[in-house]
Amino acid sequence: MAKGMFVDTSICTGCKACQVACKEWNALEPEPSHFKGDPFKGGIAINFTGDSYDNTGSLSATDWRRVRFIEQFSDSREGGRWLFMSDSCKHCNDAGCLNACPVSAIVRRADTGNVFVQQEVCIGCKYCIPACPFGVISFNEKTKTVHKCTLCDDRIHNGLGTACAKACPTGSILFGDTGDLRKKADARLAQLKTLGQAKANIYGYNEAGGLNVFYLLLDKPSVYGQPENPVVPQRRLLLSTGFTAVGAVITGLAALFAFRERGARANAEVKQ
Amino acid sequence: MSPESQAPGWEWYYIAMYFFVGGTAAGAYFIGSLLEFVGAEKHREISKVAYYVAFPLALLCPIFLIGDLGQPTRFFNLFTTVNWLSPVSFGSWALLIFGGMSFLSFVDNLIADGKLKFAPFSNLYNRIPRKLYAIVGSVAGFFIAGYTGVLLNLTARPFWAATDPLLGTLFIASGASSGAAAIALVMAIRKMASGEAFEQLENFDRLVMFLELLLIVGIVLVAGQFAAPLVSGAYALMFWGGAVLLGVLVPLGLNWYGSRSGMSASTLVLITAILVLLGGALLRISIVQAGNT
Repeated sequence: MAKGMFVDTSICTGCKACQVACKEWNALEPEPSHFKGDPFKGGIAINFTGDSYDNTGSLSATDWRRVRFIEQFSDSREGGRWLFMSDSCKHCNDAGCLNACPVSAIVRRADTGNVFVQQEVCIGCKYCIPACPFGVISFNEKTKTVHKCTLCDDRIHNGLGTACAKACPTGSILFGDTGDLRKKADARLAQLKTLGQAKANIYGYNEAGGLNVFYLLLDKPSVYGQPENPVVPQRRLLLSTGFTAVGAVITGLAALFAFRERGARANAEVKQ
Repeated sequence: MSPESQAPGWEWYYIAMYFFVGGTAAGAYFIGSLLEFVGAEKHREISKVAYYVAFPLALLCPIFLIGDLGQPTRFFNLFTTVNWLSPVSFGSWALLIFGGMSFLSFVDNLIADGKLKFAPFSNLYNRIPRKLYAIVGSVAGFFIAGYTGVLLNLTARPFWAATDPLLGTLFIASGASSGAAAIALVMAIRKMASGEAFEQLENFDRLVMFLELLLIVGIVLVAGQFAAPLVSGAYALMFWGGAVLLGVLVPLGLNWYGSRSGMSASTLVLITAILVLLGGALLRISIVQAGNT
């Protein structure tokens, strides 16, 4: 039974408990200090994102969770809302990173469906990084391998939920069987629609073969920095190789044409 | 296409240079083996030079590739599995085959030229029909020249994804042109750059440069707004000035106009070949880096 997470962004408060829990459980390195030098002695701020309360800027090898903050104001700035989304690896059923890995270091657990990197196999070629349509997987300069969320592979195989879901104080992040989670998501979506959230939608039922970590969003996916139509790059393999093969044939024909024998006498020679 | 995707952060002096060196080796090799397949006696010199050029260049490829790995000592993991969805995986296997083929051709030529005496090799080598080597060799050459473009196309980076499926063919045309230039350069240095066969080589280079130009226009058109980093961003000068102007337009102009100028033929060949090689390198660097940053 595939395990996953349902992230209901409508009840997220942006507290970042999930970010902290993730860092602690997975022993990820802390962020560098916000100040270079002592801030009381003229130290300067160096790594504030300048983007609302976002403190990671992107998912990375040491930030497997990132709470996004989206400030939406009307032009007159009279009306406004603040959207939050706790973003992470979506554990795609058709995962670009897994497809791209040349050494099969990235694998899917057959029982729980989560995608993770076998650290002792990864060669650090970085090809999985551009292959992820969501910009999740990243290179760690210290270990010289790639890292990303494992869906707490160690916890979920020992009867525990993921660390982020455990820490979430509002129940915005739910861990469980994806089938059950989908029922909850559908019910919550229907509820929100009746409450007038016309733009509410669920992100992740069909994207990239279905996402095991899916979201209830209050606005378009692109507002939350998610691709509207994520394409698993490897689905273009046949077209791309086919076209390249045609290109090879054309180049070959150009060679045959350029190096052809001129005149009938020469043609006779070729036929020999 | 996903603006959210992350850049791999490959070093240009490893990956982009591998694309160039591998493409040139592959281009030279498939010219050599195609000529062995269909060429006449007068093409023998060209195909010999092609084999002499291809193997040393092929030998550099793994150095670039392993150099860029985070865990270089684990490179052998590539050869414990085959992933048909990953160009990095099947490309590694293809490079292994290509390296083997170019090595065999290289040694065969050394023996034929009397620079090496090792009868058992010749006995084994000649037991297999030469046409078979030529077919496998050309296919391997085209494959190495083209898969690097497919590799870039099969990502979620906006520019690389938007140019799908043209990069493979562009890199084949560019590899063919820089391969021909590498052969011409060696022939010019060894004062062999004349005769009907050599003119045919220049003809071929001209043809593939036209093809390259067509494909460059093609990728700029299909990429649309996503071509910005290449056509107007940080790599615009390298791309337009280096890859397109110096690498294709000037050599084409020199080819067309040069014969009427006072310049001696051998200087002309030398300059053209160097420009084409430089342009090939700048083309790979600008295209790889435009999606890599």
